[in-house]
Amino acid sequence: MRILSLHTRQLIWRGNPPGLFLEAVALATALVMVIPIIYVLVRGIQGGPGRWLALLDGRIPLLLWNTLSLTVIVTAGALLIGVGAAWLVNRSDLPGRSLWQWILALPLVIPPYVGAVSFIIIFGPRGVVQNIVSGFPFNIYSFGGAALLLTLFTYPYVYLVVGAALKRFNLNYEEAGMMAGLSYFKVLRKITLPLLRPAMGAGAILVALYVLSDFGLVAMLRYTTFTTAIYYQMGSFDRMSAAVLSVVLIFLTLVLLWLEYRTRRRQRFFQGNASYSCTAPVPLGRGRIPALAAVIAVVVMALLLPLTILLFWSYNGIAGGALDSRFWIYAHQSLITAGFAALGCAVLALPLVYLKSRHPSLVSNVYEKLALGGYALPGIIIALGLVFIFNQYLPGLYGTPVVLVLAYVIRFLPQAMQAESSSLSQVSPRLDEAGRSLGFSPRRVVTGIILPLIRPGILAGMALVFVSAIKELPATLVLRPPGMDTLAVRIWIEASEGFYEMAAPAALLIIIISALPLKWLISKF
Amino acid sequence: MILLKSKKLIFLLLVFIFGLFILSGCGRTGSPEGELVVYNARNETFVKPLLDRFEKETGIQVRILSGREELVNQIIEEQNNVRADVFISNDAGAMDFLRREGLLAVNGSALLESIGGQFRAPDGSWVGLSARSRVLIYNKDLISEEEMPQTLQELADPAWAGRFMITRGGNSSMVTHVAALRLVWGDDATREWLSAVKDNAGAIVGGHTDIRQAVGAGEFEFGLVNNYYYHLQLEETTGSNVGAVYPDQGPDDMGVFVNVAGLALINGAPNEENARRFIDWMLEEEQQAEFSYYSKETPLNSEVRTVEEARRIDQYKVMDLDLADLGPLWNDARALIEESGLDLGI
Repeated sequence: MRILSLHTRQLIWRGNPPGLFLEAVALATALVMVIPIIYVLVRGIQGGPGRWLALLDGRIPLLLWNTLSLTVIVTAGALLIGVGAAWLVNRSDLPGRSLWQWILALPLVIPPYVGAVSFIIIFGPRGVVQNIVSGFPFNIYSFGGAALLLTLFTYPYVYLVVGAALKRFNLNYEEAGMMAGLSYFKVLRKITLPLLRPAMGAGAILVALYVLSDFGLVAMLRYTTFTTAIYYQMGSFDRMSAAVLSVVLIFLTLVLLWLEYRTRRRQRFFQGNASYSCTAPVPLGRGRIPALAAVIAVVVMALLLPLTILLFWSYNGIAGGALDSRFWIYAHQSLITAGFAALGCAVLALPLVYLKSRHPSLVSNVYEKLALGGYALPGIIIALGLVFIFNQYLPGLYGTPVVLVLAYVIRFLPQAMQAESSSLSQVSPRLDEAGRSLGFSPRRVVTGIILPLIRPGILAGMALVFVSAIKELPATLVLRPPGMDTLAVRIWIEASEGFYEMAAPAALLIIIISALPLKWLISKF
Repeated sequence: MILLKSKKLIFLLLVFIFGLFILSGCGRTGSPEGELVVYNARNETFVKPLLDRFEKETGIQVRILSGREELVNQIIEEQNNVRADVFISNDAGAMDFLRREGLLAVNGSALLESIGGQFRAPDGSWVGLSARSRVLIYNKDLISEEEMPQTLQELADPAWAGRFMITRGGNSSMVTHVAALRLVWGDDATREWLSAVKDNAGAIVGGHTDIRQAVGAGEFEFGLVNNYYYHLQLEETTGSNVGAVYPDQGPDDMGVFVNVAGLALINGAPNEENARRFIDWMLEEEQQAEFSYYSKETPLNSEVRTVEEARRIDQYKVMDLDLADLGPLWNDARALIEESGLDLGI
């Protein structure tokens, strides 16, 4: 029996099985990552036909419409801005384009719900604009408001992906088109855009996934999508319905992930060797000024306006004593929980990444895919699953910061995995072999050779997780223990009570912290 | 060198694991006096100074979880694993619902006597401290007190079409108000009234702040709000020429519906002694005054000082009902509101 199991183990690992301890840790991690999701799915399906029918009859179609229409509009808007901006700064003679190139990526550091706070301050029903121009016809608490703001804060995804594609663009095709006598406009339409389609698709899916999972911005703008409906359903008297709605949202997310998988597969045939030559930028001619105006408009709306407003309100708030001891307690609590999340992710990602790289097989692949689950799905669903599980089976830990940290780890582990895995892929397995041949045990190879070499990757992963955890809102809102509010939660509470000058300093601090690992964020694309 | 690195890693792992242990016990062993966990559904700014003072005076460490109505559900969900000691609520309907679900503990404190019997649970498990009376705020430039409707029933009259504002149906003050009307008028009459009021209303908005500001700015003649929104509007630099009508004051009229903000004692509270101590402390006159003062509500104890512009609780006719009768009507009031066609959200 034992021989048989050893034999199958050899087989599934292709004759190269990892240490049992390592595999056990990896397996446990992968399972912990998916258990909450599976639990939500099970509870949702157990919701019973009555509840399903009632929801399918009333809530679900409305939510589908709300969510999908928002997703489509925002994705389209982000594509328009993102592709346009990427083309302008990479290929045209836009004035100051090397400056705009990185400024246009900056809105990425503004968490959308923080951006929403600043826009409510300006355009809200009692905002600055209404005070000056009473009866100003724009209502921020609307579909239009939510769509506009989400577009402004998500277009950088498209911008970065398409920009990267444009940088390694093979210009021969365009030149061929020009030589065949096409106008540049026709080249753009018939050659450039079709060639960019995979990048546009990838960026669009990032945006769409974000819109599906966004909670803070839509909730602050009082627009109901699946995430906010799940949150409020949890708060009303029916957690089973929250689980049912979650099942639908999980399904939507999986459809998008499948689309992403397909576009990535198709991307492989894309272009031969880039012959990047310093061709002259495309002259915009009379379009230069309007193009510049458009770029400035985007930067003003997505970056300058929110930052100015937050600075101004922070100044007012700080003058009014917003930086009291409570503020520092919240900041401290944010740092502690995010710090532990970063540490946890860095440690737990290692076995998974190591297995994938040094013991590639179907099994290590499955472990890796399982661990990605929490990242792709909205935080509110993870929170719901953890509430179910801990309240029922682990009441001793329910309501402690451990659950919160666990939620962060589930949500953000893949960020650490990505960073560590790209580092590890640069460490040649030959080095491992050299170590082994010199008499090192496998463990010694890991601790003595691999870990020191991939330390930059580990640190980068920790930084990414740390920032994401500091910004995280929905799961924190649901899982925070009494007295353990974080900065993100405080922004939510103060803003929902209309104390914007109290919310602004915390918002500003979060933006500053988010800006720190920007280098990694941008180079990821 | 290499050994050093591996030791470092093991050290990191140990830090992580020990850290988790520390985190899981975080704040549990703080003060020798123990702690008090407060679930707070009220605006935190109104409550925080009191809680800070309680902490200072007693040495009991107070931990707050602030939220909205979802806290009611959290208390229900946690009934086998109780974390909260005290629930601070803006809504008698919610508190009494919890009592009927068996989630509150009996409180026999003699200090409860300072609050009128209709404003607290018969078993003392929850007690109101301040009045949230449902009044009509009006713009004095647009309409005089005599011209104003004097009863809520009149709002269903087409004569008022387009002239006033109400909140969305899901607003918690609205929900409990509807529960009270069901008790007085019956379900059918309440549903019809709501339906007509919904059609008559010039605007249906998210919250009462929108109403007081729009009425103050003269966008509408009047609106249905809680009393303290009127007091808040009086303080504004612009749009403060407003008055308030306390409706249904005639000899045959039903009187003003007064909801309360107050405290509930959770059944099985982990720090029950501290919770009882806190509630008793809150029932002292000074704290009663402070509890309603920040929010500009009025104290339910007419002996207690109040904001100047407010009508005291004994200066108008209050709807003759026990708030403790509202629990069962409150739970499905949302359903009745939806049936009437008034949307819960906007």
